[in-house]
Amino acid sequence: MESSHSTKDNSETAILIDSKSAKGKSVASPVAITKATTSHHQQGGWKRGVAIFDFILRLCGLIAALAATVTMGTTDQTLPFFTQFFQFQASYDDLPAFTFFVVANAIASGYLVLSLPFSIVCIVRPHAAGARLVLLIFDTMLVAFTTAAAASAAAIVYLAHNGNQNTNWLAICQQFNDFCQRVSGAVVASFIAAVIFIFLVVISAVALRRH
Amino acid sequence: MKGGGLEMGTTTSEVAKSGAAKRGAAVVDFFLRVIAIIATLGSAIAMGTTNQTLPFFTQFIRFRAKYDDLPMFTFFVVANSLVSAYLVLSLALSIFHIMRSRAHASRIVLIFFDTGMLALLTAGASAAAAIVYLAHKGNTRTNWFAICQQFNSFCERISGSLIGSFGAILILVVLILMSAVTLSRR
Repeated sequence: MESSHSTKDNSETAILIDSKSAKGKSVASPVAITKATTSHHQQGGWKRGVAIFDFILRLCGLIAALAATVTMGTTDQTLPFFTQFFQFQASYDDLPAFTFFVVANAIASGYLVLSLPFSIVCIVRPHAAGARLVLLIFDTMLVAFTTAAAASAAAIVYLAHNGNQNTNWLAICQQFNDFCQRVSGAVVASFIAAVIFIFLVVISAVALRRH
Repeated sequence: MKGGGLEMGTTTSEVAKSGAAKRGAAVVDFFLRVIAIIATLGSAIAMGTTNQTLPFFTQFIRFRAKYDDLPMFTFFVVANSLVSAYLVLSLALSIFHIMRSRAHASRIVLIFFDTGMLALLTAGASAAAAIVYLAHKGNTRTNWFAICQQFNSFCERISGSLIGSFGAILILVVLILMSAVTLSRR
C-alpha cells in the first residue's frame, strides 16, 4: 500500500542524502523524494473559493429566513365588520402551525448568524476540517427543521386557499386576502431558505474531502 | 548516524485502522438504510390503506374517510414511496462503499441525494403532521372542525403512520453525518 499521497501535480524534487556512519563506512544513501507543496496550495485555493461561496450562501439564507420570520410574525388583519358568532381577526398565533413556523425560522436565522464566524474561519484556514464538520452537522439538522416548518405552514396555507369539502373545512382566504398573501409569501421565503441549507450541506461535503 | 529518508504519509498500521473504521461505518450505513426502507414503506402502506366508513349517514355530510380526501396525505404517501424506492436503489451504492472504502466522488453523490430525499421526506411528514394535528384539535378561529371525534380508527391510523416517517428522517440525518465524517478522514 502506498504511503504517500497521489497528486495530480507533478512537481517533484529528488534529494540525495549521503549518510556516513560513525565508523567511516558509507551506507547506501536512500533517495528521498519530496513532493513540492504546490498541490497543497492549489487545494487550499480551491477550498477557499468554496468557503467564500458558502459564506455568501449563508448571508442569502439569513435574509430569506429573517424575511420569513418577520413576514409571518407581523400578520394581523382585522376585517371591518363583525357578527355575534364569527371572529374576524386573523393573526399568526391563531394557528399553531404558523407559530411553529415563526419559531423555527427565528431559530434558523439565529443559527445562521452564529455560523458566520465559523464560515469565516473556513475561509481563513481552508484546511480546517473540524469547523466544516461542525457546520455540516448543524446544517443537516436545520435542513430537516426548516423544511418541516415550511411544509407544515404550506399545508395550512393550501387548506386556507382551497378548503376541503370532505372534512367541511372552509377556505378562509376568501375573506382574509391580505393575511393569506402575507402568509403565502412567508412560506415561499422559508422554502428558499431550506433549499439554501441543502446547498450548504452539499458544499460542505465537497469541501471536506481530502485528497 | 543513520541517514533516514524523508517519509510522507501515515504508517501502514494507521491506514489499515482507518480503512477498517470506514468499512465498519459502511456496514452500519447499509443496515440503517434497510431499517429506513422498512420504516418508510410501513408509513406509506399504513397511510395508503386507510378507509373508514361510519355506519350512519345524512344528506349533507359524508361519513367516509380515506387518505386521498386530503391532498397532503396523498403527498405523504407519494413522498414516502419515492424515498423508499430511492433507499432501495442506494443500497447498491452502499454495498460499493463497503467494498471500496476510498471512494470519494460516489460518497458526495450519495450525500447530495440523501439530503434531497431528507428534504422531501420531511416535507411530506410535516405537512401530514400539520393536518393530523388539525384533525385532532380543530381550530376555533377558522371554524375547522376536529374530524377525529367521529373517525377514530382513521385518526389512529394516520397518527401512527407518522411515526415510521419521522424515524426514517432521523435515520437519514445519521446517514448523512456518517458519510460526511467518513469523507473527512483519510
